[in-house]
Amino acid sequence: MKKDIHKNICEEILFSNFYKKYAKDLYTFLYYKFGEQLNPKDKVQEAFIKVWENCKKITPDKAKSYVFTVGHNLMLNEVKHQKIVLKFQKDKPKSHTNESPEFLMEESEYLQRLQKAISRLTEAQRVAFLLNRIEGKKHKEIAQMLDISTKAVEKRIYGALHKLRKEIEELKSI
Amino acid sequence: MKREELIKKWLDNELSVQERDAFEKLEDYDTLVKLSNSMHYFKASHFDTDKEYEALKENLKYSKQRSINWITPLLKIASILVVLFGIYYYTTTLNTELKTIAGQKSEIVLPDSSEVVLNALSSVTYNKKDWKHHRDIHLDGEAYFKVAKGATFNVHTDNGIITVLGTEFTVKNRKEVFEVICYEGSVRVKHKQDTIVLTPGDHYTLSKDISLNTSKKISQKSPSWLLHESSFESIPLYIVIADFERQYGMVVSAETIDTNQLFTGSFTHKNINIALKAITIPLNITYAKTNEVITFK
Repeated sequence: MKKDIHKNICEEILFSNFYKKYAKDLYTFLYYKFGEQLNPKDKVQEAFIKVWENCKKITPDKAKSYVFTVGHNLMLNEVKHQKIVLKFQKDKPKSHTNESPEFLMEESEYLQRLQKAISRLTEAQRVAFLLNRIEGKKHKEIAQMLDISTKAVEKRIYGALHKLRKEIEELKSI
Repeated sequence: MKREELIKKWLDNELSVQERDAFEKLEDYDTLVKLSNSMHYFKASHFDTDKEYEALKENLKYSKQRSINWITPLLKIASILVVLFGIYYYTTTLNTELKTIAGQKSEIVLPDSSEVVLNALSSVTYNKKDWKHHRDIHLDGEAYFKVAKGATFNVHTDNGIITVLGTEFTVKNRKEVFEVICYEGSVRVKHKQDTIVLTPGDHYTLSKDISLNTSKKISQKSPSWLLHESSFESIPLYIVIADFERQYGMVVSAETIDTNQLFTGSFTHKNINIALKAITIPLNITYAKTNEVITFK
């Protein structure tokens, strides 16, 4: 393991590098876990401000887990006040297309079912699955981000996929 | 290869070419790909790291500035307090110092109306503010004290401490001799381990010459130098010369004669020629005088 030259990240250049390395990860993590309406962006900023304020106490190797924990806790505090309703922002489907109206209708229904199914996943499954499928992260990267084993990540993602398919089938028959 | 295994590899983008073929032959291949491809609709809104960092930076500066804003007025107040305290401390503990030059005598009245007369080339320091509680005075040289009644009065010299309650006495604290003479009341002299109590007419003398350390009584009521005259009784000549130098601010060269011979007599502080005659005639020596140097022959 390489040794850190810096005792803390109080220097702006270090802090800025640290931010650029982890801010997006933290954001996607919070977003997929808690959804949009709890302002994951604000929480990311708040968490990094906390790091800056306490920078003297935080060694560089601890900083990542610190900012993730703080961000997560900030979210949980919010959750206490507000029962979460998971609603993922959808990309607008393409406005002009050659597909037939029937196909578009079917497509839109499919997405609605998918959305419901996603919100029924456990938090752990959802975070791992969405990071994998949407952000294109490898199992190993997700494992590092969440501080769990690759095996656990694999299990969560596969479990999520299995559950999603089941849910979509069930919803279709309603 | 098992189905589950293939799907897991697909999820991690680890499929080899053969595995990919096998995967594509799975009966639910289309469903899986559709599900996977539909996921991008749920992508988290774009996070522009650089832009967000710029926004954060303002907040960082703000919180930093705020803490500085608290510190600066505090520092200002603190520095004013330090300066005020410094002035207070300086003025209250400041000692009053009085000095005389060669040939000068000076009379001082202390805050409790005690009197001090300084002989030539002497200095005293004391603290005016604290005088009520501590009557402490530092002496370098020779002085006559007439102490008002009150708390203990201490005269500090490099040779010892002289303690009195209310009396008249002189202290001579010179290079060649340390002498305390009591004229009235009683005086306690503390020199190293010795403590001696003097009564009127007693003197305590310390010098290289043992001949001076006699317990002979002194008959005068006040030191002769108060009357602008130095008088000596069987005193080595070098002590007389040292006193003469101080009174007239001159340098005396006496290399050719014996300065240990005893001198009895006095010289005035008012006229240098009369004074020189008063010293030289009884000892049967002569003198030559230039501007600053007097040579005894």
